[in-house]
Parts: sequence; C-alpha cells; structure tokens
Amino acid sequence: MCHLPFIDRWGKVKKLLIIRSVSFQQLDNNLKAIKDKFPEHEIHLLTHEHGRKLAEKYKGIKQIWIYPYKEGFGYSRKCQELENEHFDVVIVPCTNLSGTGFINVFLFSLSIHVKERYKCNLISEIKAFSKVQVMFWWIRSQIFKIISLFLSGIIGIMGFGVFFLCKGLGQLKTRK
Amino acid sequence: MLQTQPLVSVVILCWNRKDDVKESLTRLRGQTYKEMEVIVVDNGSTDGTIAMIEEDFPEVRLLKMPKNMGIEAYNIGFKNAKGEYIVILDDDSFPAEDAIEKMVDKFKNDEKLGIVAFDVRNYFSYDETNKKVEEKKNTSAAIQNYLMAFNGAGAGARKDVIEQVGFYPEEFFLYWNEQDLSFRVLDAGYKIEFFSDIVSYHKYSPANRASWRAPFYYTRNAFWLLWKNYPMTMVIPITFRLIYLVFYYSLEQYTTVYLKAMFSAIFNIKQIKDKRKPVKKYIAENLRIPFDVSFTFYR
Repeated sequence: MCHLPFIDRWGKVKKLLIIRSVSFQQLDNNLKAIKDKFPEHEIHLLTHEHGRKLAEKYKGIKQIWIYPYKEGFGYSRKCQELENEHFDVVIVPCTNLSGTGFINVFLFSLSIHVKERYKCNLISEIKAFSKVQVMFWWIRSQIFKIISLFLSGIIGIMGFGVFFLCKGLGQLKTRK
Repeated sequence: MLQTQPLVSVVILCWNRKDDVKESLTRLRGQTYKEMEVIVVDNGSTDGTIAMIEEDFPEVRLLKMPKNMGIEAYNIGFKNAKGEYIVILDDDSFPAEDAIEKMVDKFKNDEKLGIVAFDVRNYFSYDETNKKVEEKKNTSAAIQNYLMAFNGAGAGARKDVIEQVGFYPEEFFLYWNEQDLSFRVLDAGYKIEFFSDIVSYHKYSPANRASWRAPFYYTRNAFWLLWKNYPMTMVIPITFRLIYLVFYYSLEQYTTVYLKAMFSAIFNIKQIKDKRKPVKKYIAENLRIPFDVSFTFYR
C-alpha cells in the first residue's frame, strides 16, 4: 500500500528519523512495523558510512543521513548535518526486549530536534520514551559509572600486583 | 571456446535445524552458478537432519561431527573444500540465486579482494521492504575512513587466503570469529568488501536464542579478540575499558553473565596461548570492532 506523506495543518510534512543502531537484518523487520505505526510520515534514516549503500535499497526512505564517526552513537559525537533539521518522531531500534545497553543511543537522540521519541525492540514493539526518562537513565548510568570505575580500578591494581609478584617470584627462583 | 569456471565450495554448519537446512539446500540447487560443491558439517544433530540430507540431497558432502564443536566444525569444512572460493553460510541462511555468480565476478576482477561480504538480510521481510539493485550500478559499499569485518551468515572467501592466514579461531566456539579472521586477512594485505547486490537471506530470529549464550560468548571472546590481535599499546587501555564495561553493564542489567564471561576469559587464557599475533597498528586502529555490542543481547 502506498501512503502519501502527511501534511499537518500548518502545511508541513511529518518527518520521522530512524537511528540505525541495529543490524540491517533486524531493521528489515522493524521497518515494516514502523511504517505500519507511522504510515503518513516521511522516513529518514541515519546510519554509519558503511551502511549507506545497503540502506539505499530500502523502499520509501526519503533521505539517508550519514553519521560521520567510526564509533557508535553517543551524545558527545553529534551529527552536525542534522543540527538544523527538525523531526516529529525519532526511533531507536534495540537488539533486545527492554532497550538496556542502548543508553548511548537514547542520549544521542537528545541532540536531535524532535517532538516524540520511541524505541523499537527486537520483536518490533514500539514504545515511547521521554526526555525526562532519558535524563533519569543518564543519572542512574552516572552512578553505575562511578561504581564500575572503582571496581575496575581495584581489578587493575590486583592484576598489576599479581603480575609483579609472579615476576618477582620468577626472578627469585632463577637466582636460587 | 568455453572458459572453465572456478569451483566454489559452499560450507554450511548445522546443528538441529532440519527444516532450515532443507530449505537452504533446496535454494542452493537453484543457484545460477553451477560449478559448485556443497559441504554440510553437522555438529551432532539429533533431530533427523543427517537422515534428511542423506536421503534428499545425495549430491551434498556430509561431514558428521561426534558432538557440537562450535565453529571448529567450519574449519573441518574449509579443509575439505576443493574449491578456489568458499561460501560461508549458517544453517538458517542461503544466498540469493545470483549471489554466487556475482561473488565469483568480484573475485575475478580484484585479486586483492580476500573476502566478499554479502549483504545479510532478513529472510522474512527483506523482499518486501527493499528494492532490487539496479544492474551495472557500482554496488561496492567500500568506505574511506575505516575498515569492516563480515557476517558469517553469508560471505565468500578465497580459499588460499584463509588457508594462509588460518581459519576461524576454534577456541571462540561462537561469536566474534569473523572479526578474528578479518584481522588476519587484512593484515595479510587483502581487502574485505561489502556489495549491496550480493544478498544472503538469514532467518534472523534472536527471540529464540538462549538468553545467556550470546552475552557470555560475545563478552569472553571480546577479551580474547583483543588480546590476540591488538598491539600491546592498545591492549592495556582497551582491556581496562572492557573490564569497566563488564561492571557497568552487570549493574545496569542486573546480571552476572558478563562477570562470568570475563573470569572465563582470564582463567582460560591458556586457550589462546601461542595464538597472539598483533596486527599492524593501522589495522588495529581502523577495523571497526564495536566491543559494546557484546552487552546488548541480554534482556
């Protein structure tokens, strides 16, 4: 079925941006569900450079935007090309059911001018999330970061300790 | 005069997926490229897969393993392959009917091409959501700024290249094995390239996966991938980052699976003893290895 882009009462086309944070295999499935839920939106897709040629094959994508970094999506790595763009909906696909492990992408979504944010999980359930929720997840993630840094520091010190102890014992044995 | 075409060996690894294997083998019969042998390495299936292959596909070379040996079984298939090129498939994936023909053309046109990465897509929805790629269009998805590995559910490899650099890392059992092989292929001076017109269909069904398996093996093998292939100047900081990520995601997802995987990597380090061969710094810095992906499969 072919849908024409929806024009709101101010004469603007409704725009939806998908941040490609999952494999194309999953997105093939998610895209169907996204089009069903937002049939009148013009769809844009943000992907890394390596995904451009593969994304170009999708039917009904208005524009493909390139994320200009090798690394994954993150709030500190903003996409300058999108700075002057405004979207009605942004969608973050996730490879699991809950969206855990995707805080970086949720945070990145805050760098985009958008009215509504949604996540789409591996079974194509689409759920809204708000800016406030992302801020709450961010605060929680900061607490986890501090604890994790502390624990990895201890492991690191222990690791070095064991390494030098073994080295020392090895030298002692050689002298004997 | 007729020109002889090079032989292509298709290597499929299977384990208890009788119906999927049947469909893959049936689809392979419809390939436009005919100079082909099909090798199925069975990892100890108990669901009748072996009997089905023996009965319905007598042309297939079936190699039976006594138990599930993980990706080590692929290597047995690779060693037995007689073809100049090898097509690597999962038991629930198969190439589009013209994929192997196109793959052979790409290899013939570029002798430095070590691996042709297929565009691995969703069997259930790809045709509905995608357009057909225009003929004669440049379909290479080569990129300027970094390097990419490939997906083992659909890829072609020059046999002599992967024989020279060593096949899959057997100790990995599953996951990150393609990236490990990619390091060695790139380090040997060969290219890995995606082509948008070479498609592999994959019955992508992550909902049915055991929830611990992917996070465990992805995390454990992330450490081993790092320790085996990166120069020492990169190993130390990235190891610390990985340890940090293990703690972070354990807290975030209320699970101990990442901790178990990390300790498994440390305590079983003997398994990668003598296998460390750091690649050139350029490759280590530019091959895209998204370590964070290891922490996105637990739900």
